[in-house]
Amino acid sequence: MEPQAKRRKEMDKCDTWDVLPVLSDEKSRDTELLPAYAAPIIEKRETSRLVKELSLIYPLPGLQHIKRVRACKDKSSPHPLEVIVCLARDVAKGVMPADLLRSQSFDSSGLGEPFLVEIPANPPLTRPQFEKASKHWPTSFHEDKQVTSALRGQLFTADQKAKMQDYMTAAVQAAKSGREMGMDAVGAVIVDPESEQIVAVGHDCKRGAQPLHHAVMVCIDLVACGQGGGAYNYEKYPACQFSSSDFFRNGCNSKETGQPYICTGYDLYVTREPCVMCAMALVHSRINRVFYGAPSADGALGTKYKIHCQKDLNHRFEVFKAVMLNACEALHKK
Amino acid sequence: MILIDMQTDRFDPEKSEFLQPSESEIQTWMSKAFDMGIEALENGEVPVGCLMVYNNEIIGKGRNEVNETKNATRHAEMVALDQVLDWCRVREKDPKEVCEQTVLYVTVEPCIMCAAALRLLYIPLVVYGCKNERFGGCGSVLDISSDHLPHTGTTFKCIAGNRAEEAVEMLKTFYKQENPNAPKPKVRK
Ligand SMILES: [Zn+2]
Ligand SMILES: [Zn+2]
Repeated sequence: MEPQAKRRKEMDKCDTWDVLPVLSDEKSRDTELLPAYAAPIIEKRETSRLVKELSLIYPLPGLQHIKRVRACKDKSSPHPLEVIVCLARDVAKGVMPADLLRSQSFDSSGLGEPFLVEIPANPPLTRPQFEKASKHWPTSFHEDKQVTSALRGQLFTADQKAKMQDYMTAAVQAAKSGREMGMDAVGAVIVDPESEQIVAVGHDCKRGAQPLHHAVMVCIDLVACGQGGGAYNYEKYPACQFSSSDFFRNGCNSKETGQPYICTGYDLYVTREPCVMCAMALVHSRINRVFYGAPSADGALGTKYKIHCQKDLNHRFEVFKAVMLNACEALHKK
Repeated sequence: MILIDMQTDRFDPEKSEFLQPSESEIQTWMSKAFDMGIEALENGEVPVGCLMVYNNEIIGKGRNEVNETKNATRHAEMVALDQVLDWCRVREKDPKEVCEQTVLYVTVEPCIMCAAALRLLYIPLVVYGCKNERFGGCGSVLDISSDHLPHTGTTFKCIAGNRAEEAVEMLKTFYKQENPNAPKPKVRK
């Protein structure tokens, strides 16, 4: 263990970093907009009839999130409501907006002149997306409260962040030990969040004979070692360690199912965003959550791919980044 | 049936030509890869087998060792790549130079993890049997074999479809004996 003073100094830095969720593309993309025609409802009592008839002649398929009618924001507006007439792409070439309402089968009484608006193309999945979308046109929104607080950096308590800092500090230490042996300065720690025990600590070991021994691969194998398996020996690397205590609940799991999903329920802390190989290794190992510090150029948990929320894969997990970002980034500056 | 992925333009034609195995070479090596797959099956592992061939010599072979090692990353390809690295170490050869001239024969399309590992070690050509719809990294789920990843080694070419039905049958056999009541066979490779 480190001296108490040094420990406290590290702890003080706790509020200089945020834990940011790495969300799927659908949840993190910018609000895409579709041009559409709206028209003022001048006769309020015609509203329900107008909405009903407009939905029949101009349905909005795939846009169930759009509220057809909105209240006018501007209090001085002469009309209280506005309604979506149709999407701009549904208007045949050469048709003037005013002609839109002169349909043979449609009684447009109560409606004013159509005008162009932009409406959100996709249902908002996060509060920031909802807020952006709402600036253009009102939509429905089913809020995931956990995502909202994660995006605000409020998902974790100060106590939880202090623990994260302990684990990431161990990963940074491992990275430094690796660097002293001529390896890339990348460190990783696997934690059982239930018992709050560190299960394995590893660092990059790829210089020399084992180019695939990235820190994450080493850590996964160390967890296997701790359960009586493993494919390699890490004697040469004193900073690569595993705990072989017998209260591994996953030891039982693997016996029951016959499948060695050794990281079920475990969290990974790693100083740098995992590459494709390591990210997929975490899928195979059924990791619970991943916390990383710095992003990496071909990174597969946010930068190039988001393997953790890849459709078609049979295991998904949560990923958070920027944990002790400065300390993790500093590992690669020299 | 042999399907050649339309990625040929990404490769140095000379190197590619040098490596392009003949139909009979493919038959020979694939049948040995299938033997490895059967060995996996007999050992209660997901039946995937592979060979790494350099200069007409097998320098690495592997089958799934996931249950044996309790390490879910011990796929056939990872096992074989380790042997290739050992082979190079013993002979004091540069792994990159050797791997650049090595062909992988594997019964099932490499998964995303293995495809990345093959890139990291500069393997230029992969001959495989059936598609890996659940985890495939050579086009089925992601296309790690040819995506632009400048920090992840080099792209590789694939020759797909050799004895695909047999490879699928072998997997089906495994999942049948694994869990006779399973509603859907899960291909975990
Ligand atoms: Zn990696
Ligand atoms: Zn694989």
